[in-house]
Amino acid sequence: MQGSSDRGPADLTQLQATMQAIEIACSSIQMHVNPAAAEATILSLCQSPQPYQACQFILENSQVANARFQAAAAIRDAAIREWGLLTSDDKKSLISFCLCFVMQHASSPEGYVQSKVSSVAAQLMKRGWLDFAAAEKEAFMYEVKQAVLGVHGVDVQFTGINFLESLVSEFSPSTSTAMGLPREFHEQCLKLLELEYLKTFYCWAQDAAVSVTSRIIESHSAVPEVKVCTAALRLMLQILNWDFRYNTNMAKGAKPSMDAFNDGVRHDIASPKRSECILVQPGPSWRDVLISNGHIGWLLGLYGALRQKFSCEGYWLDCPVAVSARKLIVQFCSLTGTIFPSANMQEHHLLQLLSGIIPWIDPPHAVSQAIECGKSESEMLDGCRALLSMATVTTPTVFDQLLKSVSPFGTLTLLSTLMCEVIKVLMATNTEEETWSWMARDILLDTWTTLLIPMHSIGENARFPSEGINAAANLFALIVEAELRAASASAFNDDEDSQYLQASISAMDERLSSYALIARAAIDVAIPLLTRLFTERFARLHQGKGITDPTETLEELYSLLLITGHVLADEGEGETPSVPMAIQTHFVDIVETHKHPVVVLSSTIIRFAEQSLDQEMRTSVFSPRLMEAVIWFLARWSSTYLMVPEECREDNCNSGYDHESWLRSQHSRKALLSFFGQYNQGKPVLDVIVRISMMTLISYPGEKDLQALTCYQLLHSLVRRKNVCTHLVAFDSWRELANAFANGRTLFSLHSTHQRSLAQTLVLSASGMRNPEASNQYVRDLTSHMTAYLVEMSNKNDLKNFSQQPDIILSVSCLLERLRGAARALEPRTQKAIYEMGFSVMNSVLVLLEVYKHEFAVVYLLLKFVVDWVDGEIIYLEAQETAIVVDFCMRLLQLYSSHNIGKISVSLSSSLLSEAKTEMYKDLRALLQLIANLCSKDMVDFSSDSIETPGTSISQVVYFGLHIVTPLISLDLLKYPKLCHDYFSLLSHMLEVYPEMVAQLNSEAFAHVLGTLDFGLHHQDTEVVDMCLKVLKALASYHYKETSIGKIGLGSHASGFKDSDGKFQEGILSRFLRSLLQLLLFEDYSTDLVGIAADALFPLILCEQGVYQRLGQELADSQANPTLKSRLVNALQSLTSSNQLSPTLDRINYKRFRKNLHSFLIEVHGFLRTM
Amino acid sequence: MSDEEHHFDSKADAGASKTYPQQAGAIRKNGYIVIKARPCKVVEVSTSKTGKHGHAKCHFVGIDIFNGKKLEDIVPSSHNCDVPHVNRTDYQLIDISEDGFVSLLTENGNTKDDLRLPTDDNLLSQIKDGFADGKDLVVTVMSAMGEEQICALKDIGPKN
Repeated sequence: MQGSSDRGPADLTQLQATMQAIEIACSSIQMHVNPAAAEATILSLCQSPQPYQACQFILENSQVANARFQAAAAIRDAAIREWGLLTSDDKKSLISFCLCFVMQHASSPEGYVQSKVSSVAAQLMKRGWLDFAAAEKEAFMYEVKQAVLGVHGVDVQFTGINFLESLVSEFSPSTSTAMGLPREFHEQCLKLLELEYLKTFYCWAQDAAVSVTSRIIESHSAVPEVKVCTAALRLMLQILNWDFRYNTNMAKGAKPSMDAFNDGVRHDIASPKRSECILVQPGPSWRDVLISNGHIGWLLGLYGALRQKFSCEGYWLDCPVAVSARKLIVQFCSLTGTIFPSANMQEHHLLQLLSGIIPWIDPPHAVSQAIECGKSESEMLDGCRALLSMATVTTPTVFDQLLKSVSPFGTLTLLSTLMCEVIKVLMATNTEEETWSWMARDILLDTWTTLLIPMHSIGENARFPSEGINAAANLFALIVEAELRAASASAFNDDEDSQYLQASISAMDERLSSYALIARAAIDVAIPLLTRLFTERFARLHQGKGITDPTETLEELYSLLLITGHVLADEGEGETPSVPMAIQTHFVDIVETHKHPVVVLSSTIIRFAEQSLDQEMRTSVFSPRLMEAVIWFLARWSSTYLMVPEECREDNCNSGYDHESWLRSQHSRKALLSFFGQYNQGKPVLDVIVRISMMTLISYPGEKDLQALTCYQLLHSLVRRKNVCTHLVAFDSWRELANAFANGRTLFSLHSTHQRSLAQTLVLSASGMRNPEASNQYVRDLTSHMTAYLVEMSNKNDLKNFSQQPDIILSVSCLLERLRGAARALEPRTQKAIYEMGFSVMNSVLVLLEVYKHEFAVVYLLLKFVVDWVDGEIIYLEAQETAIVVDFCMRLLQLYSSHNIGKISVSLSSSLLSEAKTEMYKDLRALLQLIANLCSKDMVDFSSDSIETPGTSISQVVYFGLHIVTPLISLDLLKYPKLCHDYFSLLSHMLEVYPEMVAQLNSEAFAHVLGTLDFGLHHQDTEVVDMCLKVLKALASYHYKETSIGKIGLGSHASGFKDSDGKFQEGILSRFLRSLLQLLLFEDYSTDLVGIAADALFPLILCEQGVYQRLGQELADSQANPTLKSRLVNALQSLTSSNQLSPTLDRINYKRFRKNLHSFLIEVHGFLRTM
Repeated sequence: MSDEEHHFDSKADAGASKTYPQQAGAIRKNGYIVIKARPCKVVEVSTSKTGKHGHAKCHFVGIDIFNGKKLEDIVPSSHNCDVPHVNRTDYQLIDISEDGFVSLLTENGNTKDDLRLPTDDNLLSQIKDGFADGKDLVVTVMSAMGEEQICALKDIGPKN
């Protein structure tokens, strides 16, 4: 199956034979006859040296389309691989062959072969883009231009446009094909194309489309020119999607981004609004092509004409040419930046587009009815998308004005009516399926979000036009109505699909945030509306108590609570959120604070929530689900409004307001916050919240979701603020909770992770105590009972007998979870008490580990507790304490290891076996974390010991730990990605920081470490490979540095030794030199790794010069071809000698060697991988 | 806890009941549960509600620890479930007899000869091979609800 490698005139029969073999292989793949052999045949064509003649022969002569396809692919593979070997003429002739082929077969029905060949041409052209002279490129482009302009007929024209499409997509980073070249190459190609050709291509596409327009418009049925027009529109769209960066804003002096692949953020967005809409910013040089030559007018005219034709044969709303035209129109809506000389020009441009788009969406009612009657919705959706794009590039005021200049109402009003219409349709249909109205709603909601998202960074007054406020008010009222109706309709649905639940919750959250923005735009109306709706429903609940089924009302309240929570407060995400701007700046005329609409609304809800404390109300009204919403609301509300400390209230918010109104809004805001401050209603409200939390934990047994919300959201957000803690620890209710937790049994029935979280919360609240002593005492009181239980239990003689009872296991697990929670809540001022807590149970932990060695769940908790405790404490410990803790950890590791080494689980059930493996993995991961935590003592240390105090040597400890743990880590377990990652990061950290310790490892442990290293080098995850290479670098450079000053370095590990059987074992450095070279030369890897591989290879070569010479010689000898051989020898030579490389390990030499390795690989990697 | 903290003394005799009640909501993955009178290891727990505004219920998927069969159960999460008392004891393996029984050395020096080897070929060979290789083997015997089975074996060094 070889192509002619001698490049002489090939024997015709041989070419025939190759063709036949490939044809047979292709058809047998299709018919599933021995596919493996067929694939091997095809692969051998791709991998044979210089298969071009055979491939060209197949392309020209084969009747089997698939064979032609494979031949094109083989040309591509071989040429990219052998690019360095081909002469300039070879390269050009390959490209022109491909180009000629597609042009000649332009009318061929096998489109996929055509596009494959055309993409091969594009890839080869890109590969040579930096080598070819300008004139050579021009020559190719001239041919393409002739084709695109229609000189050779419609089919060739279509083919030419298609070729340009592949070329552009090959040059843009997200769609380019890998070529085994550094990213700088792609970056340079991208720059050159953008600067030299992109605009030209656009003009050609424009010309091609314009030239066929009249033919299309005049004829009454589909004509072949439509195909050309569609392709041209698509190419234009693709070019407008280009990430322009080189000539966009030279005027602004912004630095063009250097990194095409990592740089997702655009620094030059005209308005800093958040949006997923891509902005099109080609810069002033494109003005003539896109703006001033009537291009937009032509495009709108073309689509207008197509609209007339939708009744004709061959045209319909979703026919390709209509779709492409609409997409291009929408794309033009996001055109912005320096291409417009003035804002006026841009507004004019948008108005022109908007006038073209209006018929798609206006009048909304008629449009939606037509769609409900069966018209395609795509045009309407594109209209919505266009509005979204326009909203992205304008301010709300400008956006509103656009339509005002040609109609009696503004764009915002149109947007509002359109969305109201969509919501009405949604209400009417009310299905679970994603209908067009869903999509339209989401797009329009995005549009509102884009318009309404606060624009702090803009200096100008971002106030919303008053007409827009009314529009928002109407829309919000309708939205709430729709949501409530949907809620009551779904109240009895019982098909909660738990799989989709999470996704739908986050989608819902996003939607609610958008609703909140709309509500805040019309806050004066929205808050009273919500208050009224709540009051109505509360009244309904009370009236119907015991008479009617409240479920529908409950669901409505659930939904109202979520909406209100979003309107009143923002998600803090760990920060303390401030009161939304809209609420701060409105309601300035309220004199009596308790009549402030926000106060009224909040108080209404809190009073309602308080009723849940009443047993009878709870059972009749407060279902777990409603309670979830109540807790969620309280959590969100309290972090914004409850006891906000003074300093947080003083943040400046004077942007865009004159001084007087700023003062007034300051006043209103202060009044609002102080109402729920610590001297007013704050304390009673906080007390109510604590009592409600405790009630949910005790009176809703088994309601995990509700209790999770209480623990993680509500209580955590309360104890996060110190001023709140000060009040909490003084409350009777909080003491009751602490007491129930520390001394009662009721809370044992909570889910154990919730108990952990509760312990954390309670310990954190200690920060509210007056001084550190009191805080420590508080923690002691909280934990002493639990530790005493564990200690007492572990001291029982008959522990073995009762320890396996399920109730004992439950108690032990709960207590361990709680201790773990307490350990995680460590803060400097409670460090002492937490240390004592852990110290007092150290022995018990070891006893329990022995007793529960077969009970994975307990073992894991024990380990995790120790991990968290050590993690928190280690940096504070004094020398003596460190010694105690380290000793304890080592005993723990040894004990664990003695239980588990060599253990094999046997079970009939494969899933139980895999569970056992997962358990092992989790344990080991915890152990690695423990060692890593111990390591951190060497990095950060807050203890008061002076440096001279003899402390425990952490490096010793860590190596000892490694000795214990490594035998447990099998290659099988390393298949767990997280464990693998943890293991190698620990290994690379240790070898980088303490390479001298490696010499002290015994040969068994050392062999094990190396075995895993070998495994890691060939891992798929580049990060793992990266870490392994770092290890190699650390090892080799340590050895080189040590030996060059006369020390032994790695000693026998490096020099090789005779093993017990008397066989000579090769030293590790030469072993890794060999395997690293093997990897670099013959295997697949990401080019990103070359840099770090060079850093490892360089010291390896220096350490093992002799081995390296021998390997190089072997490599050269294996090449039969004399040209290739001399090339390889030269490349090897310059790898170690060019760039003034000298044999010292410093930064400069590492840098030089990196460069050398890059060019070495580009030179030889291709042909070495040829069979 | 205060009033009940010593309760583990009272049940510390061998005649302790075979199962214990535990609230369904407190049973976690990797724990044990009795489903259809079989001791199971819990491999999956999920919660849902009975109707939107109803109470939570737990859905357990368990695997019978002896025969490996999969069993499922749904229990309101505030109700109690039975949790089996699963005991595991280590014995040194002394001999494997022709008729498929093993001879084990107990802690106090007696032998225990009433345990059959597993019937499954795969498990059987794991144990037999290890034994035949002359390794010093410790087997772990799991017992629950009146049944016993070897669940793990461990090599504690060569037998010489």
